[in-house]
Formats: sequence, structure tokens, C-alpha cells
Amino acid sequence: MSPILSIQKVSKAYGPIQALKDVSFDVPEGCVFGVLGPNGSGKTTLLGTILDVLIPQAGSYSWFGGMKAEDARKQIGSLLETPNFYHYLSAYNNLEITGRIRKNGIDDRIRVLHQVGLFERKDSKFQTFSLGMKQRLAIGAALLGKPKVLVLDEPTNGLDPAGIAEIRELIRTLHKEGLTIIIASHLLDEIEKVCTHVAILKRGHLLLNGPVDEVLHSEDQVEVRAADITGLQNALQSMPGIKKIRLSDNTLQLTCDANTDTAQINEFCIGKGIVLSHLLLRKKSLETKFMELTGT
Amino acid sequence: MNALLGIEWLKIKRYRTFWVLAGLFILLLPLWNYEVENGFIRLGGGKDGINFLNSAYSFPQVWSNLGFWGSIFITFISILVIILTTNEYTYRTNRQNVIDGWSRMQFFHSKVLLVVVLSFLATLYLFVMGMLFGGVNSGSLNSLFSEFEKVGYFFLLSLDYLGFALIIAILIKKSGLAIGLFLLYSMIIENILKSVINHNLDKPYGNLLPLQASDELLPFPLLQMAKGMIPMGATLSMTTYAWMAIAWCILYYFAGRLILSKNDW
Repeated sequence: MSPILSIQKVSKAYGPIQALKDVSFDVPEGCVFGVLGPNGSGKTTLLGTILDVLIPQAGSYSWFGGMKAEDARKQIGSLLETPNFYHYLSAYNNLEITGRIRKNGIDDRIRVLHQVGLFERKDSKFQTFSLGMKQRLAIGAALLGKPKVLVLDEPTNGLDPAGIAEIRELIRTLHKEGLTIIIASHLLDEIEKVCTHVAILKRGHLLLNGPVDEVLHSEDQVEVRAADITGLQNALQSMPGIKKIRLSDNTLQLTCDANTDTAQINEFCIGKGIVLSHLLLRKKSLETKFMELTGT
Repeated sequence: MNALLGIEWLKIKRYRTFWVLAGLFILLLPLWNYEVENGFIRLGGGKDGINFLNSAYSFPQVWSNLGFWGSIFITFISILVIILTTNEYTYRTNRQNVIDGWSRMQFFHSKVLLVVVLSFLATLYLFVMGMLFGGVNSGSLNSLFSEFEKVGYFFLLSLDYLGFALIIAILIKKSGLAIGLFLLYSMIIENILKSVINHNLDKPYGNLLPLQASDELLPFPLLQMAKGMIPMGATLSMTTYAWMAIAWCILYYFAGRLILSKNDW
């Protein structure tokens, strides 16, 4: 299966600031692809480039194996950076323009407005909308006409927790229906809950990309605490099976290999005369990996 | 092409500013000319001044006169074009149009078509006004179509002014500054430049500046009468001015294409 989107060595600078450097990756069909990075890493620049809003200095990209860019965009629902609509038009009429440009979806407007919870306000002018409503309308416009691909830049921006949960559910549902979804976000726990693939950017460089399982590894973390933290730390240095020890907040974070479990650690410590006051197994999270990779 | 115009209409038809500015043009053209006809501008001032423009509203002079005043009022439509274009930048709806599925050129062409259609409608309106004024003031319709080329000149002038406004809007992107610059240039700077060039070169090449070229096509009606009386500077032929105006319009088109395709939106 050819990838939905293929990016080759894209570089983009804003004057002296190198926003993207040699970024390449493929987005397979039907995945939920998360583009992660700290603020300023180039996520929005990357999405802007593949939507022809920004011009890269080098590199190329192709949608659907080489379709003409504007035709491809008619089948992609996108939300880039901020909701952009005509402030004097109602939600309903703004969607009319979206539908006409895409040559598809004029009849879909009511369904989409229901889906994002804006049906009651469909005739209100866009300038009267709150931030959350504007965001919902933007998501609605992206969903208009049931596109094959969604490109969402920080879709939960401005939404309350209920809204964030709704977006999560929406993405899950659409993923099941076979859509390809590309999300840029810095909300790692949200990404972790829905994404099948990730690409991590830092200062314009692609640090890694691939399926979430591969990127995360199966390195579990164990948290331990004892009265004498330094003693505990020294003791654990000698325990085989402990790959890494990190001290944070008076707690030791241990990275263990697959064969070591909490019972063994407990036994080891007792054997050294140390009684643990706290022992917790934590599945490695994307956040930890992310912090490691981006060096924060 | 119809699809592009249709979408532009969707953007405009519910925009109050459009109706206000279009309405001003529609209202002022006949109203102003009616006042002028009735002796608003008189030599010597006051009620006893000579109403020298009295005969100006019969065929065929009506075309020249309406054309001249039209060339002043086209400023309202120019401001409209600037506002409509700079709005797209301010609210980033230009980006949204492209993201939704337009190519960059389609966005540009929708604005170019807007300029052409507005020019056409303004010219059509001028024609209708001309028929009304001329019909009322003339004894016969014999000379209806003499000097009719002024109507064509007005179309060219509209394209020139509106095209210039479009390019200014694309370059400046902010409505207040773009409008200010447009007015400053069209009313003051170009006149200064023209005088400087004409004086220094001792030839009327200053008349070939962007807006001036089409202004020359529709001069102030007094000039017709006063050409004998007051010595005027040398001038170029109407054909030259017409071709120059067309050349400027072509330049605006390609400049717009270049700017919009090479830059970030």
C-alpha cells in the first residue's frame, strides 16, 4: 500500500531561523499519525508546507502518490493553526463557501454542525463565537464532505475537557471508519491515547518516527522510595537487570530490562537491609520518552 | 471561471461594506452629475457665474463628462477592492481557501475576475446613466454614438484603477495602510511624479504613469473648450494612452501572479 503522504527532505527557514531541516517520513494509509514536538519545533510549519500555505526552500511532498496538490486538498479536511472564517457570515454560510471550494459537502453541513455541537448556533455570525465554538466550526469544516484524510493542528486548542474528550472519541471513531488522521500536538497523553504512529520533531529536526509500539519500547519504569535514598541508590547500582537509575523528587525512577519485576527488586532491597517505603510499576509513557528525547 | 465568481459572490453578497461602497458609487454618479448639470460648478462662483458645463450633458459630450466624473468616483470601488482583498489577509481566509482546495492561482484569479466584473458593471452603469442624461438633454439621438469610445476608455480606466488597487492590497496586506497609500499615490504622489518627469524630460512621458495613463483618456471636460484659449502642455495620442493602460493592467496581472506564487501565505 502506498503511503497517503510522502515527505522528502523538506527544509524551511524564516529568514535566519531554520524551522525545518531535512524532514522526511511517510504516513501510511489508515493510521492516526501524531506529529509531536515542543513549542517551536516546526509542527505547524510542517503542516503548512504540506498544505501549500508555506513554501519550503528545499524538499518535496506528495499526496496520494502524486495527485495534483489542489485536487488532493479537496479530499483532505484540515485545521491549520487558527480557525479562519469570514467574520460577518454565519457558521452555515461559512461552510457553504468551504463546500463550494471543495465541490463537495454542501448537503453535509447540517450533519457536520450536529457532529461538532454547533447546530443551535448555525445562523449566528462567526464573530459572535467563543474560542471553543470557533475551534469546533473549524473541525466541522474539516469534516465536511467526509474526506479521506484529516490534518489537524492542535485540534483541542481552546476546548474544555468535555470537548477534548469528544475530539478523542471522534478521532477513534473516524479511525475505525478507515480515515487517515494526522495530528500535531504537544498534549502527549492525548496523542498516546489515540495515535498509532508518531513523528517527533525538535527545533526542526526529525528525531524519530514510526509505530507507537516501536517508539515507546517496552521499557517499564519502577518507582522506589526508602528512608535512605542515597543508600538505596548505591545498593541498586549493583543489581543486575537495572538499566538506569534516575533521581527525581526524592524518588528513584528505575529503568529495568524485561526480565526484572517488582518482586525481584523488593527481594533484592530486603536482602541489602533496605526497606522500601514505596514501590510502583509504571508503564513507560510517551511523555517520559519525549522528555528523554528532547532533552528536557 | 463561473465557479470562482460564484464563490466570490458568496463572500461579498452578505458584506455590508460592499453594499455601502457600491451604493455610494451608484448614488453619487447620477446625483453629482445632476448637480453639475444644474450649475453646481460655475465660473466666477455664485448664482450669477457662468454655467459653462450646461451643454455638457447632451450627446455626445455626455460621454466625456460622465467618464471624467466616473474616473473620480471609481475611487470608491477601488477602496472596495482593497478592503475585500486585505480582509482575506487579515482574517487569513486566503489561507483557508487554499487549504480547502483552491490552488493559489485560483484564489488570485477569483480576485482578478472580481476586478473585471466590477469594471464591467461600472461601465455598464455609466452607459445607462449616459443614455438617461443624454436622452433627456439632447434634441436628437443623431450624435449618440460619436465619442462613444469614451465608454470603452472608462472600462480601461476601471481595470487600471481596480487592478492597481488589487496589487497594492496584495503588497501591503493591511487595509488602512493600503487604502492610505492608494489615495496618497493616486491623488498626490502621481501628480508630483508626473510634473517632475514632464518637466525634466521636457516631454509628456510623465503622463504614462500607471493611473495617469488612464486619467488622460478621460480628461476634465473644460479642457475641450479651453484648449484653444489656454496653452496646454504637449500630450500624447489617445491610442498611446490606451495601450499604456492595457500594458499596466498586464503588468499588474503578472506582478500579482509572481508575488502570490513565490511567498508564504
